[in-house]
Amino acid sequence: MIISVLQENLQKGLSTVSKAVDNRPSLPVLHNILLEAEGSRLKLAATNLQMSVTMWIGAKVDQPGAITLPAKTFTDLVNNLSPERVDLQLDAQTHSVAIHCGATNSNIKGIDAQEFPPITHGEGADIRIEGKVLQEMINQTAFAAAKEDNRPILTGVFTELEGEKITMAAADGYRLAVRNGTLSNAAPDAMSMVIPAKTLMEVARIIEGDEEVGITLPKDRDIVTFHLNNVDITSQLLEGRFPDFTAIIPRNYVTATTMYTQDLLKACRRAQIFARDSANSGRLYVKPASGPNEPGEVQIVGKSAERGDLDGMLDASVEGEALDISFNIEYLIEVLRVVNEERVVFQSNGAENPGVLRPENREDFVHVIMPMSK
Amino acid sequence: MQRIILHFDLDAFFCAVEEKSNPDLISKAFAVGGEANQRGVVASCSYPARMVGVHSAMPMRRAKQLCPDLFVVPQHRQAYSEYSRRVMAMLGNLTPLVEKLSIDEAFLDVTGIKGNGESIARDIQKRVRDELDLPCSIGVASNKLVAKIANNIGKARTKSPEPPCAIEIVPVGSEAAYLAPLPIRELWGVGPKTAASLHELNINTIGDIARQERDLMVYHFGKNGYDMWRHAQGIDNRPVEPEQETKSISREITFTHDNRDEGELKRILRRQAEEVARQLRKSQMNCKTINIKLRWSDFTTLSRQTTLLHPTQDEKLIAKKAIALFDTHWTQGKPVRLIGVGVSNLNDAAVRQLELWETEQTQKSRKLQSTLDDLKERFGDSSVKKGIDIKKRGK
Repeated sequence: MIISVLQENLQKGLSTVSKAVDNRPSLPVLHNILLEAEGSRLKLAATNLQMSVTMWIGAKVDQPGAITLPAKTFTDLVNNLSPERVDLQLDAQTHSVAIHCGATNSNIKGIDAQEFPPITHGEGADIRIEGKVLQEMINQTAFAAAKEDNRPILTGVFTELEGEKITMAAADGYRLAVRNGTLSNAAPDAMSMVIPAKTLMEVARIIEGDEEVGITLPKDRDIVTFHLNNVDITSQLLEGRFPDFTAIIPRNYVTATTMYTQDLLKACRRAQIFARDSANSGRLYVKPASGPNEPGEVQIVGKSAERGDLDGMLDASVEGEALDISFNIEYLIEVLRVVNEERVVFQSNGAENPGVLRPENREDFVHVIMPMSK
Repeated sequence: MQRIILHFDLDAFFCAVEEKSNPDLISKAFAVGGEANQRGVVASCSYPARMVGVHSAMPMRRAKQLCPDLFVVPQHRQAYSEYSRRVMAMLGNLTPLVEKLSIDEAFLDVTGIKGNGESIARDIQKRVRDELDLPCSIGVASNKLVAKIANNIGKARTKSPEPPCAIEIVPVGSEAAYLAPLPIRELWGVGPKTAASLHELNINTIGDIARQERDLMVYHFGKNGYDMWRHAQGIDNRPVEPEQETKSISREITFTHDNRDEGELKRILRRQAEEVARQLRKSQMNCKTINIKLRWSDFTTLSRQTTLLHPTQDEKLIAKKAIALFDTHWTQGKPVRLIGVGVSNLNDAAVRQLELWETEQTQKSRKLQSTLDDLKERFGDSSVKKGIDIKKRGK
């Protein structure tokens, strides 16, 4: 293998695929990134056997070939090369790659490409969706998935397709995020699958500009593939039944409070400084307007027995009864960060019942958070 | 206001409890603990046994050499806990300011209670004897440090095969004078190493420390030197702190024979996790960090921990995490000398994150849990058991 690539392209390619490299892999070769030169492209690929990412970048290929190089060493080197042409030449005998860039010469020892597990991406897109829509859907749901694997199915995002409608939902047992979207073309059949949240976060990270994303749905194998510009991401699906979440989204409320999203977010961040010490528990007092021309109020309190406390007031439009409720402040912060609308509505049925947050005047995104008991 | 502090200690507590269930033991040289042919150590020994030099923490084999007729009684921890609970409850009725130091030891602040230090101490001693038939000794002073040292000295004064039932009083103002002639090892924080360094400086009694320049003590021993110097003057302002805030909870066991049976080791971890979880529930705490401790046959010890995102008091989760740690750090067949489970990073369980799927199942299991806790609390640890633990007995 003898090739030349631009440092910027190589850097971007490595940053794209390296998230699939396992830190503690079962096979030593999984520490590595696969390089395969063919035609006028260099294929870069990495896998942790659950998620595989392949990216193609333009290259001048003088002699095709393939090798795997240790991800960390190779990435660290490339990130620190000057933005010039990088020449790579493989010594097939020693599996060592000579790298030349400007005045820098380096040799990196690799492992034979034959030892790299075969990566299969699904072929052909069964459905297509605007990249920006998919990105926002993922950003508004995946964070709510469980980070601990006590219930493995909850580490995934439930994804349901029906006609042109796509629904994503994630929950960690204490909160639930549900987002609806529209596909560019109708799904061939109604179906659902649970995709690991980690994979989806990678997809959202890599999507750029106005590209459209193609998706190959699972067929004989339990995998899903996302096709982006020059990038394929394939993931195993999670096995098991995602718990029924439609029943836990409250349909009614006794208090609805509309607030400015950024104001509420900032107030929560301030309260969290102190709430950290008390299991992140912050208290919200919702006070309806005292008179017809008065504003309603929301008071947010964070307390630490050792360090002190914080008490913040927000103007709000309150409809219904007064409320005193505690939440994990971190949960509020995480959802408010992904609300893009100016105002957000908080609906509640009392201190022990699920609270609902949704952007004002939008029906396609709903977030449910269980309160903390007092 | 001048404080009156009592240091309370039950005399040969485990032995006293054993004598109650087996009166034949009274006046005999006997020890509570593991058998000598294994790795037993003396947990407690009767006063007749002490007369010939047997003391607690001594290997049972050595105790048998000193006292060939020594009768060895296995430990009955549940009985000890039960009596301890009753004693502490009795003390708690006298004053809320009871700081429990161990199963048989406590500080009491009796300032402001009717009577003087001595009469209060006599009254306690009599009530513990009359109502629970247990002997105890008490040190009385104006602070914790001096009360505890006084009790040690008072107990040591009686050299007879009978429990000492001592009451030692250090009058206010004479603390430093009382401590002065005592050897430095009586002082808190003076271990063998510090003692050796002090001896090198020709400091042999507590009085010698008191006479030193304060800065010289700080120069040689740092912060500990400053504390020693103050303590040697008989000064100790620490309050009697009733409920020490719990920072961590753990259970561990040392085997008489090294254990390499995976099933057995995991069963023990599970049981320890249950006990730890029960203690968490009892103290209304949740934990975020779970750790295991393993000691190998060469005495090297390994501690490994894992931190959860959500605080818990669920024994199944604690057990699962402990076993996962064990699986990562134990290689098949490796002999284990000690194994234990602990939790830390504790916080108040009164604030509980409610669950989305608070199903009938989770409510039922929480109810079952609290019923089991209740039964164990009232009838002892062995009153109810899980099927998985019964198998062991059948072996």
